[in-house]
Amino acid sequence: MAVLTLVLLLAGLVLGALTAGAAPDKQAIVGSALGLEGKLGAAIAKAPAGAGAGQIDSSAPRGFLGIPGAPQVNPILAFLWAVWVGWIFSTVGAFGGIMAGVGHMTIFGLGDYAKSFKKTAPELNKVLTDCIRMANQWLVGLSSAISSLNYLRSKRLAWPLGLALGAGSLFGAVVIPIMTGGKISFSQYQGWFGVAVFVVGGFLLYETTPKGQAGKKAAKAAAQAFEKSVKEGGESAQGIAVKKWGLTRIEFSFFGVEFGFNPFWAFIGGVLIAAISSFLGVGGGFLYVPYLTSIVGLPMFVVAGTSALAVLLSMVTSIASYLNFAGAAVDWALIGVELVGIFIGSMVGPRTQKYIPDIWLKRLFVVLALYVGLGYFSKGFFGQSWVPM
Amino acid sequence: MNWWTVLDGFLVGLYRITGWTLIDYFIGTFLLALITVLIGDFTTSLVYLVNRPYFVRLNARLAELHELSMAALRLKNKSGYRAVNREANDTFGLVFFGMAGLSASYLWPAFFALAWMQPRFQGIGFPLFLTGWIANYTFTFLVAYILARLVFAPVKPYLPYFRQMTALK
Repeated sequence: MAVLTLVLLLAGLVLGALTAGAAPDKQAIVGSALGLEGKLGAAIAKAPAGAGAGQIDSSAPRGFLGIPGAPQVNPILAFLWAVWVGWIFSTVGAFGGIMAGVGHMTIFGLGDYAKSFKKTAPELNKVLTDCIRMANQWLVGLSSAISSLNYLRSKRLAWPLGLALGAGSLFGAVVIPIMTGGKISFSQYQGWFGVAVFVVGGFLLYETTPKGQAGKKAAKAAAQAFEKSVKEGGESAQGIAVKKWGLTRIEFSFFGVEFGFNPFWAFIGGVLIAAISSFLGVGGGFLYVPYLTSIVGLPMFVVAGTSALAVLLSMVTSIASYLNFAGAAVDWALIGVELVGIFIGSMVGPRTQKYIPDIWLKRLFVVLALYVGLGYFSKGFFGQSWVPM
Repeated sequence: MNWWTVLDGFLVGLYRITGWTLIDYFIGTFLLALITVLIGDFTTSLVYLVNRPYFVRLNARLAELHELSMAALRLKNKSGYRAVNREANDTFGLVFFGMAGLSASYLWPAFFALAWMQPRFQGIGFPLFLTGWIANYTFTFLVAYILARLVFAPVKPYLPYFRQMTALK
């Protein structure tokens, strides 16, 4: 009996070993770039061929980026979603960028498509992730960067600070795509995007709390009181004059008042902001402005021009880096349709604004931010969404 | 013959002016960029027409807050300066994203032009005169677009419709 048991056990082990050691059915790969360029074409060539999930069916109709079988983004849906994004831009502001990302990932079905290659073709999964984050970047960053040029014309650019920030942002915008381009899986990207949505939602939530509202009211009252107390006007323009140069301290005066900053910390700030915005695929404007006003303590009117330079530099560099190093492909027509939607949405926004109180708008977006943030965070890091999505 | 075939034929025609392939490519791309600049500026003017009072009001408020903050700096009134700055922050946000919408209205045609160029010129390297560099269609279009903007800017105030728009601003 013992011998029989031993023989059966050994037979089981041998069989198990043989099964484990046996080569699985070799999955046929696509074998050609199917006319697609760069890293996208290379990743497609290595992907498994077939009509199932996580496979490329070369005979299927071409969809997103010309990939056979990829979701075909409905231009009407893309347009309508972009109108919504544009409306948010003109009523709430930076949250529009998040909604643009939600559109690409969830509404157009590109996220789930990228995710389907997680196990079957990890390289394609990563290239698609780069394409999705770059689509976000074009949409949000480009518009912001171009509009920023108008602020540069106002000649209120604290250029030593702009250069220090810009150098940092160049570094961040080059290094992040090199470090993460083609390496970040869609799940990781989605998870971190969810974290960013939470942070933005947190800021919005604070603004709707009694404390946030009181702070805002107090600032408004103080501004109005000050407004009343000021009688004189017609100040002649003085602009910015640099007073002191140094590796650890640069000082400049703006309308007679002195401001100073440490170029090293400005550089680090630029690196961090460009890195975050490049990684998430968003424009950096929404981070530069609070950084420069709250942390560096600069006047808003210097911040406008200065952040413009930094946004412009990091945007251009980041997109160029993705195209060069990450080889991300671009769906130009989709961006065109979305830009049309954005400008129509941003035309409608100011007209509807007076009918919806600001605080209710913010509350609406807090709820949306929590929902989207939770959904992306759980889907990205835990593999399944904790809320219906 | 549908509208797309007509448009496609017209755009292809822009690339067949001299008969020299490379020169035709650069001329065609410049003309295409110029058309996108024209259409973009036209749609921007429509946006501006529709929302002019809103932009004027926002910009006036921003200018007002700027004057106030300058006065606060002169008077060395730090708390007043901070309060005005905070108020300006919100107004600036609205102006900034309003401008983003406005810039979308003049950039969108460029992306459709790139979408038209993509299947025709993708994968082709275009030698840049005198430099020995090879550029792709995106880069050449970008340079052509900047040139077209530079050419159009001084001419714009003299064109009938745009003259009126410039006067409105």
